Amino acid sequence: MDPSEVEFLAEKETVKIIPNFSLDKIYLIGGDLGPFNPGLPVDVPVWLALNLKQRQKCRIVPPEWMDVEKLEEMRELERKEDMFTPVPSPYYMELTKLLLNHASDNIPKADDIRTLVKDIWDTRIAKLRLSADSFISQQEAHAKLDNLTLMEINTIRSFLLDSLNCMYKLRSNLQPGSSKGQAMDY
Amino acid sequence: MPCERKPMRYGHSEGHTEVCFDERGRFIVTCGNDGDVRIWEGLDDDDPKFITVGEKAYSLALKNGKLVTAGSNNTVQIHTFPDGEPDGILTRFTTNATHVTFNSSGSRVAAGSSDFMVKVVEVSDSSQQKTLRGHEAPVLSVTFDPKDDFLASSSCDGSVVVWNIEEQTQVISWPLLQKTNDVTNAKSLCRLAWQPRAGKFLAVPVDTKVHLYERGSWDHVSTLSDDLLTQPINVVTWSPCGRFLAAGSVGGSLTVWDANSKLCVERCKHEKGFTVCGLAWHPSGGQIAYTDTEGCLCLLDGLSTSASDAKDYDALFDDDDDDDDRLVDEGLSGANSPVKKREDEDEDDFLMPATGRVRNRGAFLDDENSLDTGSLKLGQDKFGDDDDDDNDTGSAIVPPSAAPPVPLRPVYEGPLPTHPQKAFQSGSTPAHLTHRFMMWNSVGIVRGYNDEQDNAVDVEFHDTAVHHAMHLTNSLGHTVADLSQEAVLLACPGTDELASKLQCLHFSSWDTNKEWMVDLPSGEDVRALCLGRGWAAVATSVQMLRLFSIGGVQREVFSLPGAAVCMAAHGEQLMIVYHRATGFDGEQALGVQLLQLGRRKRQIINGEPLPLTLRSHLTWLGFTAEGTPCYVDSDGVVRMLNRSLGNTWTPVCHTRETCKSKSDHYWVVGVHENPQQLRCIPCKGSRYPPTLPRPAVAILPFKLPLCQTSTEKGQMEEQFLRSVLFHHHYGFLSSSGYEVDEDGQTRSQKEQQELLMKMFALSCKLEREFRAVELAELMTHNVVPLAIRYASRSRRMALAQRLSELALEKSNQVQEEEEQDEEEPEYSVGKVGRANPFKLAGSTKPSAPSGQPRVTNILDNMTSSRKSAPLAGSAGKANKAPVLKPLAPRPKPRSKVPVSKKTPDSTEPPADQQKQPEVPPKTGFQLWLEENRKNIVADHPDMEETDVIKDAMGRFRTLSADERLVRTTFKFHQILNLPKLSVVIFSFISIINLAFWYSKTFH
Repeated sequence: MDPSEVEFLAEKETVKIIPNFSLDKIYLIGGDLGPFNPGLPVDVPVWLALNLKQRQKCRIVPPEWMDVEKLEEMRELERKEDMFTPVPSPYYMELTKLLLNHASDNIPKADDIRTLVKDIWDTRIAKLRLSADSFISQQEAHAKLDNLTLMEINTIRSFLLDSLNCMYKLRSNLQPGSSKGQAMDY
Repeated sequence: MPCERKPMRYGHSEGHTEVCFDERGRFIVTCGNDGDVRIWEGLDDDDPKFITVGEKAYSLALKNGKLVTAGSNNTVQIHTFPDGEPDGILTRFTTNATHVTFNSSGSRVAAGSSDFMVKVVEVSDSSQQKTLRGHEAPVLSVTFDPKDDFLASSSCDGSVVVWNIEEQTQVISWPLLQKTNDVTNAKSLCRLAWQPRAGKFLAVPVDTKVHLYERGSWDHVSTLSDDLLTQPINVVTWSPCGRFLAAGSVGGSLTVWDANSKLCVERCKHEKGFTVCGLAWHPSGGQIAYTDTEGCLCLLDGLSTSASDAKDYDALFDDDDDDDDRLVDEGLSGANSPVKKREDEDEDDFLMPATGRVRNRGAFLDDENSLDTGSLKLGQDKFGDDDDDDNDTGSAIVPPSAAPPVPLRPVYEGPLPTHPQKAFQSGSTPAHLTHRFMMWNSVGIVRGYNDEQDNAVDVEFHDTAVHHAMHLTNSLGHTVADLSQEAVLLACPGTDELASKLQCLHFSSWDTNKEWMVDLPSGEDVRALCLGRGWAAVATSVQMLRLFSIGGVQREVFSLPGAAVCMAAHGEQLMIVYHRATGFDGEQALGVQLLQLGRRKRQIINGEPLPLTLRSHLTWLGFTAEGTPCYVDSDGVVRMLNRSLGNTWTPVCHTRETCKSKSDHYWVVGVHENPQQLRCIPCKGSRYPPTLPRPAVAILPFKLPLCQTSTEKGQMEEQFLRSVLFHHHYGFLSSSGYEVDEDGQTRSQKEQQELLMKMFALSCKLEREFRAVELAELMTHNVVPLAIRYASRSRRMALAQRLSELALEKSNQVQEEEEQDEEEPEYSVGKVGRANPFKLAGSTKPSAPSGQPRVTNILDNMTSSRKSAPLAGSAGKANKAPVLKPLAPRPKPRSKVPVSKKTPDSTEPPADQQKQPEVPPKTGFQLWLEENRKNIVADHPDMEETDVIKDAMGRFRTLSADERLVRTTFKFHQILNLPKLSVVIFSFISIINLAFWYSKTFH
């Protein structure tokens, strides 16, 4: 899966916007949206929010977790715990990127938030690498990965699977008398 | 009179704090460990000004607009007050100063320091210093003799020393205190206090007592004590009149003594029991502000500095040792002559500060506890002096011999007048803020900025389609604003040279001149303003109301019955709230006028009192988006005008109920009736929102304060009543010629009937047949048959019988009304509601049911609905099905309604419709069968046709003779009125379907 595909999925998440136009309910395949009243918050998917924002038709209300204090707490917890801690949103990284890139003027302390989310991401990815390392070195058969987001799994999936494949091949070649190795020799 | 302890509030971060009042008593000034000096405009000031003086502030003193603080950088600094500009350093020590104080004239400052020294510095010339050396430990406290000859200081070395300032020598030294090595370790801060004015006594807190030393002789003349004081006294301070002495102690006890009688007149305990470390009397003597070591600021209000109150009130003390000798200088107490009570007005002036907030002066009257105790004590004083020793439960706080001294002057103890609330714009935040909302309404936001760089007004529209955002420089200093779809109206108060100005930015104007300005006559200030559609109204300080057209033409001017408080406009309506009279005990006496401008000018509400919650004031006034007046008071109750009940006000929401914390509020920005929404901004810990970060609007639901809303019955009643109340605007709108959202109207009416039906079913279940009939009375005449059906199905024949009588009555009533209506050419508003459900094509309205004579009424009803159609501007919709037009011309000559306009709105297939009129006249039974066939078939779906007829015969016979008669008359009627009948029958069919739906729902 491509990161852009994950991002595409993330755009389905809803976010609150404050429109500056008025429009009746709109009926889409994915569900009804609106009605849009100027000045009144309404929940819409991120793709619509960004589209409206780019056309300067709304202000985006940052999600509740996109707050310096909450993220700091989360970062501390993430650093303290050995396991993965629950994240505020299954698409936290994508949403942060999307919202901060397109609507940083609606988000207080955007820079701090960017740094904090990056910190959390880095911590988690480091953990992920570490656990992948121990997974391989201890030759475990299975691993349980709780609280991982799609984007995180995606970053490591191709590499991990390829390397496991590779190692499997190497190992099976090393074992003398293994049928597979012999078969390949022929 | 018992004093009232106001709830404490956060002042500073924890640590040592100090407090004082400014000379006029307007501000409370505190300093604390966070290095800030805060200037509070009263205890409930959520936005105090602050001056940062250093990393920590140990002590402060305030006089003549100079604020002296002892900071952590070992200096004593001056700041101007209240601006907070740094004004230089007064003196330095080798370590931090512990206490600073002014002399009575404010010309000198004394500071004691941890480096054992006391310095006396001239404020005007800091080079003139006098240093008093002699203490052998950090100085705890310093105080000036009011006559400026002496200075007293206490120190950690255990001594209290009186110095001669000029000679810089010790006059006398008393070893009174425990020795410690540092201020932080001292058991008590030992703040000394010299009696103001005469300066006769020096008060020294010594452990749990206060020693009074006489000036000159330096004799220990008396001791003030209280047995309930168990922990050392930290700080003492004299009342401004010099008669009372207040002390705050470790552990949070506050005690006030009368220095003449040596009696304790007031006792109070800190809410949380924190150590009191700062104490200050209000210059009027009516209040004591105190701070504690946890950084909280508290206030003791309603201190009566009169001797008549030498009785105790305090329910908080659980005294267990009352047999001790409680008499302090018994001899003196007899010879005590009460001091004149301070002028009441002084006190009142302070109590109602200019901030516009209402102080609940009378709130303590609610405190039953204290009242009871007080009266109890009184009783014991009078009758039970001898029992004191036997009594264990606290009567002995009052010394038996201390009979209450009689005041020389009678003291007024009745209700006190409330300060009338100031005029305001609803949807604005206080004017003293540098960044504030000048207006937040359904159109947009007007923000005012007034800081060093910029004095500007920002106008922003919620809907950018109205107009783009505007940024105006506010050179005139506008303070009030309103915003509508057409214009921005701004006004500034007048100054000495300039008159009060009204500025209108008429951005929707089609010419090039988008702005006009008007000067008000000199001496007249704008107090409140509002924008209606095509006009602007301004209420001024001389109780005048001026009406301008939106283009700037002066249209009307009239006098208001009182000072305006707030105004609101919607379309052609103008609502004015003004002061009707003086309120008492925290109440506001407001009156309201509602005017209809436009072509038919009239007054709808003629200055009736505006009901407010007890001890609250008006905070928001406006109209719902649909044009119903409503307002919000400081208690968070939203009230809406009920036009159908003689213009009464109904509370529709209590915003405070949904608040999580006591200090949270909702700042209302708009009210909508359809959908039912209360738009407001949640404010954490304040009454109004800050401009940044941009507040988000939340929506609250309405809830009428009915009884037992936790039960199903209560809930449904509430829903029904609310639906009815929020339905009234349709009638109002259509009567004033506005377009009506017919869908919404039908929906709400359907909802009401459904709720009635549910309630009916519930009462049936609960065997409340009388109640069920009452509910049926509320139903429209076409829903009653459903109720009858329900009743007969659930085998309640008596109920069904009564209901059928009711149904008959209802239909007759409707018929009569209809006839009257036809005679009157003028259109009546109330009708629309009833008529409309039939209008809407495809509506699943539970409308006209199983036959009965009322069918004719449905038709008549439709005529009325059609009458409303052109008014409601939805004729297009009504004309959707012209095919269905009845064939025969209308035989009724009485009807004045043009026939051509009539279009029966029903979903029946046209084929049936056209067939129906050709049916030859039928007998009563045939008719009845026609109507009830479905019912019968429904009840017995497996019956043959002949059986159906038989069954129907049987049923028809059971009908009362009357009904049969009706049927026969109806037959004749029908002959005359065939086209009508066809419509009736088709609507009847659709209704039967509905009836099925209902019965399914309720079984």
